Amino acid sequence: MVGPALALFVVMLVVPVGLSLYLSLTDWDGYSANPAFVGLKNYVNLTHSAEAIRAGWVTLLIAAVGTVLLSVFGLGFALLVNGASRLNAFFRIVLFYPHVLSALVVGFLWSAVLGTSGVVNGWLTSKGAEVLPFLSDPKWALASLIAVLVWAGFGVNVVLYLAGLQTVSKDLLEAARIDGATTRQTFFNVTLPALAPVVTVNLVLSLVTLLKTYDLVVSLTGGGPAGSTQTAAYLILWDSFHNNALGFGSAQSVVLMVITAGLALTVARLRARADQGVQA
Amino acid sequence: MSALRMPRVATVQFKPWKTKGWGRVAFLVVTSVLMLVPMYLLVVSAFKSQQDILAHPFSLSPDQLTTEYLRKAATNPDFNILKGYAVTILFVVSVNVLSVALAGPVSYVIARRSERRYRMLLLLFVAGTFIPSQVLVIPVVYTLKFLGLMGTIPGFVLFETTLTLPFSIFLYAGYIMTIPASLDEAAAVDGAGKHRVFWSIVFPLMKPAVVTMVILNTFSVWNDFVNPQIILGPGSGLYTVTTGVYAAVSQYSTDYTVVFPTLLLAVAPLLVVFVLLQRHVISGLTAGATKG
Amino acid sequence: MARSARKPGRKLGLLTSVVILVGAAGCGGGFSDDKGAAGDSTGEVRMLVNITPNLTKSYWEGLVKPFEDANPGVDVKIEAPTGSGVKDTLPQLLAAGNAPDVVETLMADKVLAPQMLDLTDQAWTKDTPLVEQASLDGKVYTVGVGQQAQSLVFYNKDAFAKAGISAPPKDLDELTAAMGKLKAAGYLPLQTAGDYVTGLQLLQLSDPSIATKHPDWYQQINSKQAKVGETMLPLLERYQSWIKNGYVDKNALGLKDVGAQTNFLSGKAGMYVMGSWFVRTADDAKPTFDLGVFAAPTEKGQPSPGPQGVTMAAPYMVLKSTKQRDLSVKLVQWLVTDKTAVQSQLAQDGNFRKGYTEKLSPLGKQVQDILDQAPKQVAQGEGYGANTLPQGFNGEWNKAVQSLYTGKSAKDVAARIDSWMGSKS
Repeated sequence: MVGPALALFVVMLVVPVGLSLYLSLTDWDGYSANPAFVGLKNYVNLTHSAEAIRAGWVTLLIAAVGTVLLSVFGLGFALLVNGASRLNAFFRIVLFYPHVLSALVVGFLWSAVLGTSGVVNGWLTSKGAEVLPFLSDPKWALASLIAVLVWAGFGVNVVLYLAGLQTVSKDLLEAARIDGATTRQTFFNVTLPALAPVVTVNLVLSLVTLLKTYDLVVSLTGGGPAGSTQTAAYLILWDSFHNNALGFGSAQSVVLMVITAGLALTVARLRARADQGVQA
Repeated sequence: MSALRMPRVATVQFKPWKTKGWGRVAFLVVTSVLMLVPMYLLVVSAFKSQQDILAHPFSLSPDQLTTEYLRKAATNPDFNILKGYAVTILFVVSVNVLSVALAGPVSYVIARRSERRYRMLLLLFVAGTFIPSQVLVIPVVYTLKFLGLMGTIPGFVLFETTLTLPFSIFLYAGYIMTIPASLDEAAAVDGAGKHRVFWSIVFPLMKPAVVTMVILNTFSVWNDFVNPQIILGPGSGLYTVTTGVYAAVSQYSTDYTVVFPTLLLAVAPLLVVFVLLQRHVISGLTAGATKG
Repeated sequence: MARSARKPGRKLGLLTSVVILVGAAGCGGGFSDDKGAAGDSTGEVRMLVNITPNLTKSYWEGLVKPFEDANPGVDVKIEAPTGSGVKDTLPQLLAAGNAPDVVETLMADKVLAPQMLDLTDQAWTKDTPLVEQASLDGKVYTVGVGQQAQSLVFYNKDAFAKAGISAPPKDLDELTAAMGKLKAAGYLPLQTAGDYVTGLQLLQLSDPSIATKHPDWYQQINSKQAKVGETMLPLLERYQSWIKNGYVDKNALGLKDVGAQTNFLSGKAGMYVMGSWFVRTADDAKPTFDLGVFAAPTEKGQPSPGPQGVTMAAPYMVLKSTKQRDLSVKLVQWLVTDKTAVQSQLAQDGNFRKGYTEKLSPLGKQVQDILDQAPKQVAQGEGYGANTLPQGFNGEWNKAVQSLYTGKSAKDVAARIDSWMGSKS
């Protein structure tokens, strides 16, 4: 039962990752026929690279804040649109549709809204107010990036939580209602514990997805201003292709992978007890 | 004690009390506006000239609107839109079927067995999502070349399926954990083998999760632009909807008179399908098959 | 908590696969395995090009049609990049064994040259623009259609008149003074932007004065006799003062290049530094004001006009791995020597070439004059041929200059770029 999936996975993903690992030990530029083996030189350079370290912190910040926001909005809205009415169906579509658009489109559309001569600032200047530096100030740009990431992504969490909400035992809810529990009490004592595995799934998957943020950075901020919104994935691709340093880029990928693994494992471990409470 | 673990039935989570009803709707309407603003931009811009898009992104003056760009995007001679849809649908269906067939059983095993090595197995699968796909492109290409699968449909479908496995397995495993194991045990006592237990007892109860994954996988396969281009290559004569419409621009083009109509064409059918699928999703998510 | 070992079988299987693959990759002819071939006289030739607002796919297809008509049985297939541009896409296609036959946009450097066909013995390359400057160690890999002038300042003549500026500034002090006057008259003196524009504009502005002060700037930098940051410091300090005085929009980083162009062409800004390809955009947009252009000024005391930054327009290279070598070379030859094809490409993207001056627009003629009057033509930024800086310089410079807007000083920027250059040696 495990065999076929594992075999496919190893061949199609593990092996390329292994190749990536090998490339990280070379100075390959993406073109030459015989990349030279340079041992751990790329990794050493990485520790000296202020750019890479900053990209690392930016990525971690995006992942941490984004993961929390995605689950808060995801679960919150799932509770609001749960139910079989037409209205709920409409809202579900509205909440989810950004996921249908590619990140590149989302980035462009929002930069048209938030940019220096975008819709919001155009309106502000027409009223004589100061321009808001959504995309031109480093801190604002990072906040805008996170906001748009959440805007584009929380629909997925809504869908996941909706599926999870279906597993909460109706009888238990009825019992709580009969006992006179308030909405809040019911939520925290019945619903949330029953949702524990779903929460874990959401947290881990949001975390892992956000750590890979790339496309939106390209289309919304271009990594700017002054490179302040460059994420790890963005820098990896930049170094790999624009700077012809695929070996160095691969080293960064390996580090990203290790950090992601560490974080995902930590979150899963921390959630383990809550999940076990749900198992039959 | 078994009362606590009855099979799930769908329900309205909270009865919408009269006083809260309107507040909730109002809040959702405000949220919807915020959600739909960029969509409005997308649709409106498909009918505008480049300068108009840049100077007046929100305006909707009928005399400035034109269908010229939309028509140009739709009648691209390089690209037979019907063939593109057919190819894409073929890929979407194959990947979804294969994904469920492979991910289902593995998730079942992971969810039911508590040994350490199955936690490790889950972590291994989830680790598949740890590297951004753009970074993997070149190593994957070399791997596929080695296997002789470059430029072939099976190669592409297998790779796309692999990409769906981590998320699917993780979600299915989590979902199965909420399905009481007592059901399996009852079936096993009746002499059913592991495969039968999974497919005939557990799988039907997993519908919401499966439906969710089918939706998500459909979108990711549909929107995948780089992988079909690189793996199938220009020489294969195969193109999906996105690679076909994007053939006229690079993904990152700033010629908005091409980008927006193109995007609208690529995205509109997805949205329509999603809206239609919603009807089934509603029944899938909220009806929740009851067993036993 | 110690992790217990996975099933030994699985681990072994994993290890084996990795070893097999690494072995295959390492031993089996390395990472490039395609040898080229001369090919037939008919068939398909694939060309990877950059698609821009000026150079659309349908433009390219129309451009090559006469070649296809003159060579029956030949189909030129135009391909757009899958990545963010040709530079990202080419290595992926090469790895996939799907490399095109001809590639546009890129110029040969020591990384690309081994993959490209040596065209030195082709006589027709001799008269193409900038062919010697672009050659590497005497070998010709890249040929182009024309020249792009880089160090240009486009300006709103009406705004200048309103601000009381009688003539375009001849040196950088006059330029700063002009900005002050424009600001007083209610205009944004200099239109800048985020994206790649920030660093590019400063490079373009710097070419004349730097090339005058350091005629062998590239050689001096590469032999460590001078440092980039140090030589650029005066200009960086000047740019910083512009930010402080509000001569450039402090929120400019939130604008993309198209946004900046729109802003300038709608008359809100007095000046816009950009390369000659902007002529085409400006002509198409038909601004309501009188649009002029002058050469980027030199420092006070230096001769004026100074050298002009020049780059190659539409560079083409043929891949060594092409199976249609003869046809590919024929196509490239046609693209850069056939009068109609050349004229079309020059006009479409606002580029220039000796002997092709009749069809220029009034604005284009002004740029041609600037080119003609420049005492010298120099490379810019990452450069080409014998005058190059390490790959990635343009991007790093751009980020560094942008940090002037986010609170860093000119000295910080200079130190940053010098430290990057130092790490690249």
